[in-house]
Amino acid sequence: MNMEFAFLLAGVLLILAGCFCLIRTYHLLKIIIGMELSMKAVTLLFVIAGRINGNMELSQAFIITIIVIEVVITLVASGVALDLYKKYGNLDVRNLRNLRG
Amino acid sequence: MNMLNLTVHAMLALPLVVLAANNLLAKQTARKIALYVCAAVAFFQIASSVTLFVMYTRYGITHYDFNIFDPGQVSADYFSVNRLDLFLMVCIGIVVFVSVMLALETIKDHKRSYVNLLMCLLLGMNGMVMATDLFSLYVFLEIVGITSFVMIAMFRSKVGLEGSFKYLVVSSLGIVLLLSGLALIFMQTGTLDFKAIGESLLDTQDSSRRALTYSAVVLMISGFAVKAGAVPFHSWLPDAHQSADTAVSVLLSGIVIKIAGIYGLIVVLDLFGSLEAVRIIYQVIGLVSTITGAVLAARQHHFKRIAAYSSVSQMGYIILALSSGTTLGVVGAAAHIFSHAIFKSTLFSNAAAIHEEVGVLDVTKLGGLEKKMPITAFSSVIAFLSTAGVPPFCGFWSKLLIVIALWKSGDTVWAGAALAASIFTAVYFLRLQRKVFFGKLADGMQDVREAKNSIGFIEAALTAVTVGAGLLFPFALQYLQTAGII
Repeated sequence: MNMEFAFLLAGVLLILAGCFCLIRTYHLLKIIIGMELSMKAVTLLFVIAGRINGNMELSQAFIITIIVIEVVITLVASGVALDLYKKYGNLDVRNLRNLRG
Repeated sequence: MNMLNLTVHAMLALPLVVLAANNLLAKQTARKIALYVCAAVAFFQIASSVTLFVMYTRYGITHYDFNIFDPGQVSADYFSVNRLDLFLMVCIGIVVFVSVMLALETIKDHKRSYVNLLMCLLLGMNGMVMATDLFSLYVFLEIVGITSFVMIAMFRSKVGLEGSFKYLVVSSLGIVLLLSGLALIFMQTGTLDFKAIGESLLDTQDSSRRALTYSAVVLMISGFAVKAGAVPFHSWLPDAHQSADTAVSVLLSGIVIKIAGIYGLIVVLDLFGSLEAVRIIYQVIGLVSTITGAVLAARQHHFKRIAAYSSVSQMGYIILALSSGTTLGVVGAAAHIFSHAIFKSTLFSNAAAIHEEVGVLDVTKLGGLEKKMPITAFSSVIAFLSTAGVPPFCGFWSKLLIVIALWKSGDTVWAGAALAASIFTAVYFLRLQRKVFFGKLADGMQDVREAKNSIGFIEAALTAVTVGAGLLFPFALQYLQTAGII
């Protein structure tokens, strides 16, 4: 097993771990963490992609952009979670059942 | 011509200028004029895109490449505009204009934040249609996405926050799928430029590389399908559309799902259209969305939720049109994007009017509003007829184009299915119309009045566009034929 394959496997496993976290938990912040985990794991795929094709500059630029955008997404998500906490008094995702049909 | 091309630069620069000015001006001034400035920006975008479209056709220009920092220099192009992009920008301008008109009445506080976010959204959507590589496409897609999350949650109601959070989680999963697809493509090509990707990926016989390409295509299509709200990724869409303020839902339903989702699918079709798998996936997603959206819409009780499920159904139509893979199919898809933008804007304006005047949007509690709100009722009926594809409204022509495109490319079964699915549209909107506008006047609605200033105006204007575009559509087709597009 060479290093590229190990990295690729790690990336895919981390994405799946993040998705598993989304399914498993009822806590808003834990959901955000799971979301972050899988989105950060994608950057590993870009690292390995840049190494395979030799275009490391573009890959680095892309990874930094992804990280910046993810920070913004986490910020918005945490803000929404904070407001939900103010409305309901806890961070249980099972509160979110007003919209149905 | 050079002067005209500068307006394309302005479409990226103006939102930023308005954004800066909105925050620099004194609060009272900004609150008073900002919305009108937004309307002017949207109007400018509509006018200049139409002019450029006509000029490009007349002088035989297919595209204009440019770089935002030094206009006129052709060595480093990051953006490119062709006629499809210009057409989509007309649609963007129209829906943004409608949203501003609704916001004048419905948004009382947070006007400044609304303007800021609207300008970011406009920038993101314009950037997305102008982008020439998957990197910028992704960045602008995220601008559109993040602004939509904030816009839904902006008023901090319980439902708004809930809809926003659901959208956020589902959409991040979509982004993960999309980025994995991009990584797989990037792994093989070493570039993300549209032109370079198509050439270098498809001419290989190596089976493992082909497998990588196929998985990348599937991942990218799923990512964009999440953004487009196509079945089976539609769960966020009705929640987000129902919970947002109407001025925001009209943006989401009218244009965001099309630019963020359908335009991405058009790009995938452009790059990988020669793979048979892409067309099959589009056909399946398209037909399933069309039918599922219509069936689910028939079971809802909330006005905006019915309109949202109708969007799922109509997105299915557009994806079906793309599945033909021909130019006619893309033209049909673009025409349907236009007519859907018009009639869905009309329906959301009706929702805004009813929400402002009556206060409830539950269709079981409404009834007999036709006598009290004649303009709203009339425009709603016209929009419904256009959705259901009744001639001579513009929805009929775009659906006709889609069916012809499918028929011509040999997919007669899918063309028949698309026609049959049209009937479902009639079912859920007939139910909506009957409950809201006709029959006996519901309790406590004796002193309901017609919608006020800008909402009434925009309803009338959109109805005029639906009828006018429908009547002029044969001429538009003729024009496209002489221009050599179809």
